[in-house]
Amino acid sequence: MLRLPKFKHLKPASLKETLDAFDENCQKAQVLAGGTDLLVNMKHCLYKPDVIISLNSLSELSYITEAPDGSIQIGAGTNLTDLTENPLILKKVPALKEAASAVASWHIRNMATLGGNLCLNTRCWYFNQSVSWRKTREICYRLGGNLCHALPGSKRCHAINSSDTAPMLMALDAVLVLKKKGHERQLPIQQFYRDNGAAPNMLDPGELLTEIQLPKTVNTGKTAFIKMSKRKGIDFAAGTLAACLKKNSNDKVFLRLVLGSMHSAPLFLKKAEQVINESGLTKGSIEAAATSARTELGTLTNLFTSAGYKRELVPALVKRALTSIMNQK
Amino acid sequence: MKQILSLNVNGDDYQIAAYPSQTLLDVLRDDLRLTGTKRSCGTGTCGMCTVIIDKKAVLSCLTLAVECEGKTITTIEGISNPDGTLHPIQKSFVENGAVQCGFCSPGIIMTAKALLDKNPSPDEKDIKEALAGTICRCTGHFKTVEAVQKAVPNIHKESGNDSEEK
Amino acid sequence: MTAKKNNYGVVGKPQPKLDAPLKVTGRSEFTDDIRLPGMLHGKIIRSPIAHGKIRSINTSRAEKLPGVKAVITHQDTNGLMVGPDQMLLCDETVKYIGDEVAAVAAIDEDTAFEAAELIRVKYEPLPALLTLEQAAKKDAPILHQYYEDNFADERTTVLGDPDAAFEKADHIRIDEFTSSPNHNCFAELHIAVADFSRPDKLTIWSPTQSAILFQKALAQNLGLSEGNVRVCNLNTGGAFSGRVSAKPHHYIAALLSRKAGRPVKIMADADEEFIICRSAGRNKYRIKTGFMNDGTVKVIEADFLHDCGAYVEEQFVLLLLAECALHLLYKIEALRYQGRLVYTNNIPYVYHHGGGMSPVQFALGQHLDRIAQDLKMDPVKLQLKNAVDKGYTTINDTHYASCGLTECINKVSRKSGWKRKYNRLPPYCGIGIGCGVMSSGGKGMWMHDTSAAFIKLSEDGKASLFTGLPDMGQGSHTTMAMIAAETLGIATDDITVVSGDTDIAPFDVGAFSQRGTFTTGNAVKNACLDARKQLAKTASEKFNVKTSQLVFFGRKVFPKGKPDKAISFEDIVFDTLHCAEGRFVMGRGFYNSPTDKPALSYSFGAQIAEVEVDPETGEVKLLKMTVAHDVGRAINPLAVEGQLDGQVFSGIGQILYEECCMENGQILNPSRLDYALPRPFEIPQIERIIVETHDPYGPFGAKEVAEGPMVTTAQTIANAVSNAIGHPIDEIPITPERILKLLKQKKQELS
Repeated sequence: MLRLPKFKHLKPASLKETLDAFDENCQKAQVLAGGTDLLVNMKHCLYKPDVIISLNSLSELSYITEAPDGSIQIGAGTNLTDLTENPLILKKVPALKEAASAVASWHIRNMATLGGNLCLNTRCWYFNQSVSWRKTREICYRLGGNLCHALPGSKRCHAINSSDTAPMLMALDAVLVLKKKGHERQLPIQQFYRDNGAAPNMLDPGELLTEIQLPKTVNTGKTAFIKMSKRKGIDFAAGTLAACLKKNSNDKVFLRLVLGSMHSAPLFLKKAEQVINESGLTKGSIEAAATSARTELGTLTNLFTSAGYKRELVPALVKRALTSIMNQK
Repeated sequence: MKQILSLNVNGDDYQIAAYPSQTLLDVLRDDLRLTGTKRSCGTGTCGMCTVIIDKKAVLSCLTLAVECEGKTITTIEGISNPDGTLHPIQKSFVENGAVQCGFCSPGIIMTAKALLDKNPSPDEKDIKEALAGTICRCTGHFKTVEAVQKAVPNIHKESGNDSEEK
Repeated sequence: MTAKKNNYGVVGKPQPKLDAPLKVTGRSEFTDDIRLPGMLHGKIIRSPIAHGKIRSINTSRAEKLPGVKAVITHQDTNGLMVGPDQMLLCDETVKYIGDEVAAVAAIDEDTAFEAAELIRVKYEPLPALLTLEQAAKKDAPILHQYYEDNFADERTTVLGDPDAAFEKADHIRIDEFTSSPNHNCFAELHIAVADFSRPDKLTIWSPTQSAILFQKALAQNLGLSEGNVRVCNLNTGGAFSGRVSAKPHHYIAALLSRKAGRPVKIMADADEEFIICRSAGRNKYRIKTGFMNDGTVKVIEADFLHDCGAYVEEQFVLLLLAECALHLLYKIEALRYQGRLVYTNNIPYVYHHGGGMSPVQFALGQHLDRIAQDLKMDPVKLQLKNAVDKGYTTINDTHYASCGLTECINKVSRKSGWKRKYNRLPPYCGIGIGCGVMSSGGKGMWMHDTSAAFIKLSEDGKASLFTGLPDMGQGSHTTMAMIAAETLGIATDDITVVSGDTDIAPFDVGAFSQRGTFTTGNAVKNACLDARKQLAKTASEKFNVKTSQLVFFGRKVFPKGKPDKAISFEDIVFDTLHCAEGRFVMGRGFYNSPTDKPALSYSFGAQIAEVEVDPETGEVKLLKMTVAHDVGRAINPLAVEGQLDGQVFSGIGQILYEECCMENGQILNPSRLDYALPRPFEIPQIERIIVETHDPYGPFGAKEVAEGPMVTTAQTIANAVSNAIGHPIDEIPITPERILKLLKQKKQELS
């Protein structure tokens, strides 16, 4: 049976204690929230932290509030199931509810947190395997080697970001609050991810994602979230598409279109966005946007499903998301 | 180094010496000898290790025992009635042929219990959503979904809501 | 859906499984629940390369690790071979990724894992043959040095006069098909607990489909007499053709135990499970058929290549089963068949659920469907035209004393609304039919075909039924209890089934080849008739009638036509036991199908699938399955329904979802997540139809339902998808990607 390596377990009672502990141990510590990502990787000996710092006593990270100006604040430690049932989210950010409801299975959502899903480790079927499986191959970039099995010849890791909530929050212009000992910063989520499977986000050593902020205008647009996966209710996506369409006072359309689960970071489909921004939302412009989206995918791997199939999926994802928005009252 | 944990399982309080690296599944099976909760994939994908912690169906193979202090843990051994008769969900699984090899049954029943405790009138989609985290190779889930549906009126009966009976 | 009403007291009535209350309360014991005093944990060290020479094995560091109690290599095995070409632990060469090289036993799993990491094996890689094409080539390097080529086995059969039949045919059609590697993926991972601490006695706990075969193999290979090998099978968490024979980890656990002097448990890791349990490989099927304008199929010529993987275990059975699948279903007049097993440096592949026959019947079913398209003939009519029926004798002299194939076809056709749907559905919606056949009480595949049973009665009229037949979830024990109850005229609840220990249970080859209901069922019936005879002696004296005039029914015994004179069954038993003679009531019986053919009876089925295909993404939504199966008699309709469900589910998985993605001889997706079993949202609406034809040989007319439905599902769904997209399907599983490729291909063909 897969076993967890041994570690020291800390359960700080406050965020301050947590950040202190994380700062003290950051080279050899991992933080634990739901555990559905970290513990699996630890069982595969992909991570062997000497110290685990539990976030599960920190009720101060678990909240969903609305500020007087209408902006929304979600603690990173908020449980995903609780998020999907929260009346405020259902009322003001149903798209986030949809994206969060699409994460993995009900069991996983009962354990996982929003922060955990946003900081999900990237996935690759050459990496996310047991010790004995990985003995068959040379070590890759993720493990300190010099190659990528997913894309031979590549100069970086191409493991995939499979977060379902990240693309949606990117389309909604979320801002992240990041804290480490003695320091706090805010970062638009669009700048949080890096297209590098081995270093997929901008967290500094010892830094924690503590809050996700949604602007007061979060419910002024029309949104859509499409997830395509082999099976419903359990799988990581073969591809996700998050869309948010707003109109300014001059009826000018402004679209955010974010593709997830195909690259090491969610990807804005800028050309496709431009088609809609210029032509508005019509059947014809949707087709054109879908066709255009195919051309801005860059390099795709054959991880989990072939690159060719992924390219076929993207136009379908785009069409469905935009058609859904077009049909909304 | 092992630490002493206080765990409340099926209404009983236990003191267990466990390593931080031991999962709740390890402790339930190896220390408390509650072997009804099964070990299978170990990575949270099959649902066979499902227990209920503070009313939520969770995967005990990905839950550290040290994280469970102060929580209410329920396993398959803890849901039958005090007189030994079966919980309505267990009864429904037996009567409707939803148990074959039985290896996955505890995990699925606990999932169903957590669902029905939270939502006593789920529709088919709700049931499938909950059970999608479990695998049943023998029944293919045809009868497990049916068994959960057929348990619903009896849950209402037990809670005294006869008017909701089908 | 219920079976027909009958006059039986027990048979034909839905009966929940007797052990279900234990299972739903978590009180059923499985092998992982066992704790033996001093038990150690074992870990196997496996080859990381597909093919290579072993240069050295260094176990010294592992042996020195505190907590390690035994380390074994080939030097500890006395050259033990677990198959005709397979050493238990490799000495000179490794032949697939996962090949067993060494093993350790330690006081806990962490120490065993650590010790395994300390064992150093140096390999010299050799070129690997990973595809059928590579390995079957004329000048391919030979993988097993004593053979002339890489064909592990070959079976050639000619029945009738194929050449003459092809001459007479109006049309000839050739199709080729490919199936992909897959996995049985049952709930309980492979596990063995072995206690070989005494040199002359081995006790082993393991889930199994055949305790006897495990016992025989372990005894033979470990130099023990069979009586000194005790196989305990507590419960089995699914088997699906994957637990028929002892595997290397059973032997390894035993040898570690012998060396350490303590019990040893070996349990697979989740990904290791995909190596330990051999399923099906990438096989190729070529089918050539001669048929007439009116749809009569005259002759089939088939050339099948099966990827055997690195070693032969029981794959030779595949060749026989594949041949049978070709000539048992339709009234053909000739067959030419060649089946070959090809060695490759892949995991030894045996069979997935269905005896590996799903892909074969997919190929045949799709081929027939294309014939229907060629002739512009309704596929249902084509099936009816060619279907075998009761009284028919096939070209290999298989005679059908019962056959409900036509009834199944007609029923599913009516129930599904075939006539108003076929070729009348909206674009990308499809409907398809498939038929299947499966032997009931298969024999001849191993050295012994008998099933035996004992029944012991106690004073209170309750009975203990002893059987060596495992229950892997199919409900076989409950079915046996029902057969016993019916024969004795008591209730199913009055029976306790005692099983799972070769020291106690009578001989039974096991729960495979669809033997349970048919063969063991007959043995149980015979044992109960024997017991009844003993009771009848007492009752006949009491009633002063001949024993042939007695009725045993409803827990009572009475002369025919005089139920008012009844005495309770319990009283008859009591009086028998306490008579002056001091008798003991125990019935014994056995059964061995009186035929030299592979089976005496066959089950038949027909299914119709309705699908919707998304032309943009290639996703297939399976809307509905209408399933009819001729089971002879449904002893327990609830269990029969469960079997229909589970097998249709398995068929759905094999045809639409399940695939081991292979690269360089390694599975890329060895997990319960990435190896995609369907889940609740993927299951369709199901309509179940039980057809009963009252087989004269089965107990109360029953036949198998253990694998027949499953092998029918594959071609049914394939035919529906093919109908939806308007293009033939020649590779399974039918993934969305493959659908998109076929749609593109169709577009090109049309333009």
